[in-house]
Formats: sequence, C-alpha cells, structure tokens
Amino acid sequence: MVSRATAQPASEKSTENSMSVDGNSCIEVSDLNLYYGTFRAVADVNMTIPRHKATALIGASGCGKSTFLRSLNRMHELVPGARAEGTVELDGEDVYAPTVDPVAVRRRVGMVFQAPNPFPTMSIYDNVAAGLKLNRSKIKKSDLDDVVERSLRGANLWEEVKDRLGKSGMGLSGGQQQRLCIARAIAVEPEVLLMDEPASALDPISTLAIEDLVQELKQNYTIVIVTHNMQQASRASDITGFFNIDGAGQPGRLIEMDRTDKIFTNPANKATEDYVSGRFG
Amino acid sequence: MRVTLQEDLDQLEASLQEEGELTRRALRGALNALDQQDEELADEVIAFDDEVDACYLRIESGIQSLLARQAPAALDLRTVLAVLHVNLHLERMADYCVTVAKLTKLVAGVPPDQTIVDAFEEMGERAEEMIRVALESFAARDVERAESLVDLDELIDRANRRAVKQVIASGGDEERREWGLRMILVSRCLERIGDHAVDIGEQTAFLVSGEFREFTDASH
Amino acid sequence: MEIAAQALPRNRRVPSWGPWAVYAVALVLVVVLSRATDLNVALLAVVGAILAGAAVYLWSRALEGSRRAVDRAATLAVTSSFVVALVPLVSLLVTVIRRGAERFDVTFFTHSLRNVVGEGGGAVHAIVGTIIITGAAAVVSIPIGILTAVYLREYGRGKLAAAVTFFVDVTAGIPSIVAGLFAYALFALFLGPGIRLGIIGSVALAVLMIPIIVRSTEEILRIVPNSLREASYALGVPKWKTIVRVVLPTALGGIITGVMLAIARVVGETAPLLVTTGLITSVNTNPFAGRMMNLSVFAYFQYKTPGVPPEPYLARAWAAALTLIIIVLVLYFVARLVSLRYGRTEIQR
Repeated sequence: MVSRATAQPASEKSTENSMSVDGNSCIEVSDLNLYYGTFRAVADVNMTIPRHKATALIGASGCGKSTFLRSLNRMHELVPGARAEGTVELDGEDVYAPTVDPVAVRRRVGMVFQAPNPFPTMSIYDNVAAGLKLNRSKIKKSDLDDVVERSLRGANLWEEVKDRLGKSGMGLSGGQQQRLCIARAIAVEPEVLLMDEPASALDPISTLAIEDLVQELKQNYTIVIVTHNMQQASRASDITGFFNIDGAGQPGRLIEMDRTDKIFTNPANKATEDYVSGRFG
Repeated sequence: MRVTLQEDLDQLEASLQEEGELTRRALRGALNALDQQDEELADEVIAFDDEVDACYLRIESGIQSLLARQAPAALDLRTVLAVLHVNLHLERMADYCVTVAKLTKLVAGVPPDQTIVDAFEEMGERAEEMIRVALESFAARDVERAESLVDLDELIDRANRRAVKQVIASGGDEERREWGLRMILVSRCLERIGDHAVDIGEQTAFLVSGEFREFTDASH
Repeated sequence: MEIAAQALPRNRRVPSWGPWAVYAVALVLVVVLSRATDLNVALLAVVGAILAGAAVYLWSRALEGSRRAVDRAATLAVTSSFVVALVPLVSLLVTVIRRGAERFDVTFFTHSLRNVVGEGGGAVHAIVGTIIITGAAAVVSIPIGILTAVYLREYGRGKLAAAVTFFVDVTAGIPSIVAGLFAYALFALFLGPGIRLGIIGSVALAVLMIPIIVRSTEEILRIVPNSLREASYALGVPKWKTIVRVVLPTALGGIITGVMLAIARVVGETAPLLVTTGLITSVNTNPFAGRMMNLSVFAYFQYKTPGVPPEPYLARAWAAALTLIIIVLVLYFVARLVSLRYGRTEIQR
C-alpha cells in the first residue's frame, strides 16, 4: 500500500491573505476605499499582488472587483465624482500621491478590456504602435517595426497577421482582435497588465488561447485578471482573491485571497466556499 | 443551487454505504464459514464478491462522470476524492473476505484448534465493528469517532500477534502445521481489514479538514 | 368554425397581373374623362385611384379572404401616400429643369450682368459670390462648431455646458432673416449704417450653420464607443490627444457629412443675404470690400424687377434656380459618398 508522506498538521484557518508565494510584491494596496460621490463602492481592501504572477479576482456581479481593478491604474477616475482613499503602491510609490499624474501611471499599468476595442481607423501595425506613437513624438521606423513585431509575437498573433499589417484591425476575428489589444497594451512595456474579463466576449477556443497567453505573459509582466468565470480563474491564475458584498447598497470587500489551488480545494472562509462550489444564493 | 451535483453526490454516498453493508455481510459470511468449516458457505462468499465488485464499478463510473460534468470545487471536490478512496478500501476489504473463504476451503476437513478459531471470531467481530464505525463516522463527518478506529485497530493488531504466537507454539504434524500456516494468513487478512477501516477514517478527516494525515505512524 | 373560415386565406388567388390591370383601366378612364370633360385632372385622378383601390380590395376579398384583402388595401394606401408626397418634388424638378434649361449655357456661366440690359449676360458674379460667401461662412463655422461639439461631449460638465447646449438649441431655431439682421446690426455698429459687404452675409450664414454642425458633430461623437476612449487612456495617452488622434478620426466621416449638410442648408438662403450683401452686377471677389451678389438674391431680383421685355430676366432667374438646385444636389451626393466610404473604417456594430 502506498504510504503518503505526512502533510502539515491542519493549520488554523486564517482570514488574512496568507501568501506563501515567493517573489517580491509588485503592488501593495492598503486601506483602499473607492467612492462614487458619497456612495462607497469598495471598502477597506488590503492586498498584495505579487510580481510576475497571475492574480485573479472573482466574485459575484456588482461586488466591486472591476471598480477595484480600475483603481489600480486610476481609470475609475474617468467617471465623474469617483475618488479613492487609501494607497496603492506600485514598486513602493503611491500612485495616488498628489504629485502623481494619472496618465503616467497608466503607462506603467496597462489594461485590456472585456470587449476587444482596436482603433477602427488604424491598421494592425498602427494599432500596436499607437501607444508609442501617441506618446512619443519621434521614433525611428526600424525601432517601431521591432516593437510591433515583438509585441505581436508576445501576444501570439505575429504569425497570423505578419502578412497583413497594413490592413484594418476590424477584419480580424474576436479572439484575434483581443490579442491585438493585448499586443497594443504590451507594446508600451508596462510593468503590470490589468485584464477586465478579457475572454468573456470570446468563444471557448479563443478563451483558452487567451489563458495560455496569460501563462506566457506572466514571465515578463504582472497580470491581474477580473473574471466571473470561476474555471478561468482556477485554470489561469496563481493567486485568487474573492470579493463579496453583504447586501444591496453595501460596499464590496475582499473576503479572502490565497493561492488558487487552496481557494478551490479548501478555502478558509465559508462565503468563499459557497461561491466557488456554486452554492451561492 | 447545483441540484444535479448535490443529487449526484448523495447518490454516490448512498451507494458507498450500500457497498459497506455488502462488505460487512461478506465478512460475516466468511467468519461463519471459517467457524463452522462450511465449504458451501465459503463458496457463496466467494460468489458474493461479484456483487461488491459491481457496486464498486458503479461508484467508479459515477465519480468519473461527476468530475467530467460538474467540475466540483472545495468541499464537493474533497467529498468526491474521499468517496473514491473509501470505495477502493471497501473493495479491498471484500477481497480479503474472499481470501478468508478460500483459505477456509483449503483447510476443510482438518480438525481446528478451537482457541485459535475463537480468537478469530473475536477479531472478526472487532473488524465488523470497525467497518460499521468507519462508515457511520464518514456519513456523519464525525472526525473524533473516526479517530477512535485507531484504538480498535490496535486490539486487532494485538490479537493478530497473539494468534501468530499461538500457532507457532501449537506445532504438530504436517497437516497441523499446514493448517497453522493458513490460519496465520487468515489472521493477516483480518488485520488488513482493520487497517483499511482506519484508512476510511483518515478519509473522513481529510474531507472535513482539507488536509490529509495518517492517524498513526504506519511503520510498526 | 367561423373564425377559422375568416382567418385562413382561401386557396384561390388574385392573379399577379390583376391589380395592375385594374389600375391600367382606371388610368385610361381618367385620361379619357379628363379629355372629354372639363373635370379637373387631379380630382379625376384621386377618384380614379380610390375606385381602383376599392375594386382591387373587393376582388381580393372575394378570392383570397379578408386578411389578404386588407393587406392589399394597406399596401395601396401606403404606396399612394408615397406617390402623393413625390408629386410636388417631381413637379418642381421638372419645372425648374424645363425652364432653366433655356439659359443653361456657357454665357450664363461666364458673363455677369455688367452693362447688360435685356438679353444676354450671365450669373458668374452670383456664382462666384455664392461660393465665396458660403465658403467664408464655412471657414468660420466649421472650427467653431466642431470645437463646441467636442467641448460639450468630451469636457462639458455642469452649468457652462448646460448653458452652451441651451444657446445652441435656441440658435438652431432662429429664422434666417433674424440672423441676417443680427449680422447687419453688428457690422453697422462699427462701420455705420447702409454697409453692405460679402463678409456680413458670411457671418449671418455662419450663425445659421454653427448649430447644425454642433448638433450633428455631437451626435456622431456620441456614437463613438466609449471603449475606444478607454483603450486610449489605458495606454497612457492624455485626453486631448485621445480626442484629436482617436476620437475625431473615428468620427471623421460623420463630421464631414454633417458639415456638408450644413453647407447645403445655407447655400440657398435668400433672406439674410438680402439685407447684408447688397446688389451688384459685376464680379467682386473681395468679401471685405463692396457688395457681392449671390445666386438666390440674383434669382429673386431677376424675378422681382425684370426689365422690358421680362422674358430674358425670368429665364436668367430660372437658370439661377436650376444652378442652385444642382449645387445642393451635388453637395448631398458628395456627403453620401463620404459617409459610405468612411463607413467601412468607422464604428462597426
């Protein structure tokens, strides 16, 4: 009979984000509260997002995970009346410090959205180069070519489009368009890539292609994915954070955050357990 | 929510309890056949194993289907894994009962040493009790009760060692010695049945806590 | 069951040539009766159409059941309304083409009325004037209109935006003569009464064009999906650059269409130009000095104050009207082509 090595004794269940992952942290969130006017949408989030790993944020609709994601690159400020209290430290610098320009933050923390949104008036080449061309005035054509190729390779799209870089991006399929958006985002070499439900508008094959891509991308970038598809979170991420909301009108909170395999085999919190096993509600 | 998943899980556990009941009957039959030197009963026990195997395969296939379709997570996942292991242990226990029945047939006709046979009856009753406790504590998710299986197993282990010593001491002619050797094997079977019951208890603890650990160090 | 008998169409059908035969018969009757009697042709046509429709309805009802019959009657009613709506337009076009063709010649397009009395002459001064006045109006109103729309859509929040929207809406409804008077009064303040310049007309037309451009540009900016702006912001592109390099190019087709429609709207305005640009018989290419003629005022005056005999003047008026219509049609078609061509790269559904 097989004798199994004795495992660690049953540890006490902690409700903090018990991170037994190695690797330094890339983003430290402390006491983050997000408001739309007087309404508090997200409350008291403390979170460590480790470098070069894929972190997934899951939770029911309306529990603030997208709002939280957008606060990491100050995109939630685009909604009038939105504000943040607390700190979000990117490599030790608080992105909400008064002297920090939100535009500069977004060059370091890129974002990919739910529905693919390539610029319709630009070719594939111009789409990928858009971040560079719009931000810096003079770049040599050869440098730009290198960046475009590197980014398209990084997004696993180069082979499919290398012969039609001059054509419009709108002629690609949904999955290809989304990879084009990823290429566009990584062309500016951000440190962090935020993905807001990147595959929810795609068919299952394209979804798996995006998930495989995330595994490759995390070697060079820190990835944070918001997803309402639990299987995607379990397949594609190393760390998972679970957001929940107490009731209508209440703010969303981070309930539990831990290694993905732990969240999906033995979560510490009952609410997490209910959610991942689908016994929610 | 997840009504189908819950129904499937309940169905699997019900089948498991049914299999446990079949295993207990097999053990009772094997012990009776040994005690009464009844070859016919022994043959029935051997044939009865087909029913246990059928139950085992049904549960196996149910688990496979559930994993493929339902993608269980957290507690549900651990439940399925625990059912998978308990299923294996029950089937092995039933196989040991078949071994006991076969050994009974081999020594039929040889006058037994009653003290040893009585010791086996006691060991057998203990083993039966362990099966019952293991399955009840699994159904009730009662970890304390599952851990009590260790003490029960200790008794069987001791009885096993005693039986071995007794057989060595009784000696005798070739027929006698052959009978003794076979009886040591029977004793070993009963002791292994006890071990598998403890294993079932460990699965109960895994299901509840999420961590697998052995109740005792298995080296002795 | 009764309901079934009513609802289900019967198997026999009115033959496809049937209704056409009825209309043809009705047409023939109308023509014959209008020739034979003194009855008004239009009245006969209307009565004929109604009777023909009733005949088709009854025939269909008898053969096909009431549902199909009602269907045919409705089709007929809709088609006749369409025809009725078309009649004035067709009539107008036919009349203008017929009458305007008389002077639609090279002389008309190469000569002005300088030293011309009676026959001959042309409207080149009016054509040049229309182009210059409308062109200057466009040069003024396009930037103002587009930038206002950009402000309202992309930046505007709060009271200022609300006020601007309100004033744009009010200005959109100004009668064109009021715009003309406003422009005249403005220039008269600085340059004294009786002033007549091409540029004053341009200002008046600009006042009319700006609200149109603002509204259509605003509409097209609204259609540009927010996801494009977000994609640009997420790349770390500042807001103004996003607007200039992403939003406006995407909206370009719609903006151009809106501008062309605004031009088409004002190119034929008469009232504001009457009070601002004055009358002149020769070509003037300087909007800042002297009077300037334009096509609509030219047509008006040729009609209003013809000399003796009046025929050449009227002929010139019709030709000018025809030229105006052609200019407007060309502008509309170009707008259509632009929106079709840019529609490919524009917002996809």
